[in-house]
Amino acid sequence: MAGTKVSSRKLITTVLIYTALGIAMVWALLPIIWMVLSSLKTEANMFSMPPKFTFKPTFSTYAFMFTEGNFGGFLKNSMIAAFSSTAIALILGTLGGYALARGNYRRGKDIAFWIISTRMTPVAAAIVPLYIIFAKFHLIGTTFGLVFAYTTFNLPFALWMMMTFFAELPPDMEHAAMVDGATKFQAFYRIALPQVTPGLVATGILCLMFAWNDFAFASVFTSHENQTIPVAASLLVSQTGIAWGQAMATGTVIITPMLITGLAVRKYLVRGLSMGAVK
Amino acid sequence: MPQPQPKGAPSAGGRLARFFTTENMMLAPAMLVLASVSIFPFLYLIYASLMDFSLAIDNPTFAGFRNWLRLVKDPLIFQSWKVTIVYAVTGLGLELILGVGIALLLYAAPWGRNLFVTLWMLPIFVAPVVAGLLGWFLLNSSYGLYAWVLQQFGVHTDIFGTVATALPAVILIDVWEWTPLITLIVLSGLQSLPTEPLEAAEVDGATYWQKLRYIILPLSFRIIVVALLIRSMDIMRFIDTIFITTAGGPADSTKIIGLRLFDVAFRFMDIGFAAAIGLSMLVVTIFLGKAFIRVMYGRE
Repeated sequence: MAGTKVSSRKLITTVLIYTALGIAMVWALLPIIWMVLSSLKTEANMFSMPPKFTFKPTFSTYAFMFTEGNFGGFLKNSMIAAFSSTAIALILGTLGGYALARGNYRRGKDIAFWIISTRMTPVAAAIVPLYIIFAKFHLIGTTFGLVFAYTTFNLPFALWMMMTFFAELPPDMEHAAMVDGATKFQAFYRIALPQVTPGLVATGILCLMFAWNDFAFASVFTSHENQTIPVAASLLVSQTGIAWGQAMATGTVIITPMLITGLAVRKYLVRGLSMGAVK
Repeated sequence: MPQPQPKGAPSAGGRLARFFTTENMMLAPAMLVLASVSIFPFLYLIYASLMDFSLAIDNPTFAGFRNWLRLVKDPLIFQSWKVTIVYAVTGLGLELILGVGIALLLYAAPWGRNLFVTLWMLPIFVAPVVAGLLGWFLLNSSYGLYAWVLQQFGVHTDIFGTVATALPAVILIDVWEWTPLITLIVLSGLQSLPTEPLEAAEVDGATYWQKLRYIILPLSFRIIVVALLIRSMDIMRFIDTIFITTAGGPADSTKIIGLRLFDVAFRFMDIGFAAAIGLSMLVVTIFLGKAFIRVMYGRE
């Protein structure tokens, strides 16, 4: 008798756990699902009350954006800015991160503080000096300016992440290679670097994501020529109204590559988003 | 056998060789660029906060500490810090409770944990500006899905256009996007908990709540603090969701300090004052960053 009592309590607990988790999943996912559904609706279907969950999907909004609008151009601008700043951050961050992990630098805590506080500088506070400097050198509205702005958060991030990945690697193999005549740089390039490839890829994808998702910097530092998609999305909101169909389609285009690549490196996601505080 | 070096001052060549080590050569480019994107703009921010740019952006005049004084005198700045604190404290509070709660549920779930974690983390990947647009779309009183649900309960408010509901709405967008991050951080802490104390408690017949109160939560304290510090720095960092939904309105009820800075800088072109506001925000971030480093490196 006691056994059935315990197991029925256990059953109730299990049911409660999964009910709560189910509600949480609906809360988390419904907005995303709704966005994707809305991007596939006609105007009439999108604004119908009560809301429609079943309808005949159409890609007309996407087709319109790519043919009538300059959506392809915005997409290209976003990719150029994201990939350039990521490349800079990864190259400098990998070299510097290795040096920080292996060279016996004192004041490690101070360097850590410098890196973290640069990474976490409020975007609004970073924009002001950059704005004055860019205005002086005519860099507002240029891709170079935007990439420079993205480097303010991507370089400290990559430097920090790569340092933690290299620091976890036991240095024995590199020492052995150097005993066999390899230079320090060869030991880095041939021995250490291949072992941190997963970490390097994850760091790169997170750098891409931070730049790709940026709105505030791009809203100030881009002109019509090099506008990125988040800015394009925000411009669909105007005095006269909002092109909701295009806004939802644009949103879908912005998040899809991030969902796919982000999930691919999900093992490193927490580590990246907590600046290495959680392994 | 290498000859023992004579004692005394090292030759200039030796000193150079010691400076041009492989490590220093690898570190130099990163440090130079990092300095040019952090120290140089930081010094410029301090300089700008002491200047008046209102006549011409490329020809500022010295303003002394006038901009700094306005930080404490301007009632609008005070109002914006108040909104920032309400936004941060309410948002973080909700994210903490829900985030830890869901981490505990996932930790207790006998199967499907991986699948649920994967689904739960998806909002993290959404660009904040898209999260804002989406929240606005869902709560739009004439055709939003969530607004429609609320209307079935007799609520017909224009949510982003009403002072009482705009701030809660932008807080909920932040909660939607970032509660999963708290869950992920806390869950990874839970998964690395030592098993012995929990097993011992089990043997002694402890209830779940006793285990939670005396073992799980105390052992997870550090990681919860990490999650809160990261999130509070991020809340200071971003303005995107509020910028796109309410732009700080109605009646400044959602104008967090970062948005106020945007207004001052790019609507009123009062760059010097904006720089002073930026400095004050940076002070908060620096405090949080120091605390973060302390938690990370442990107390020494």
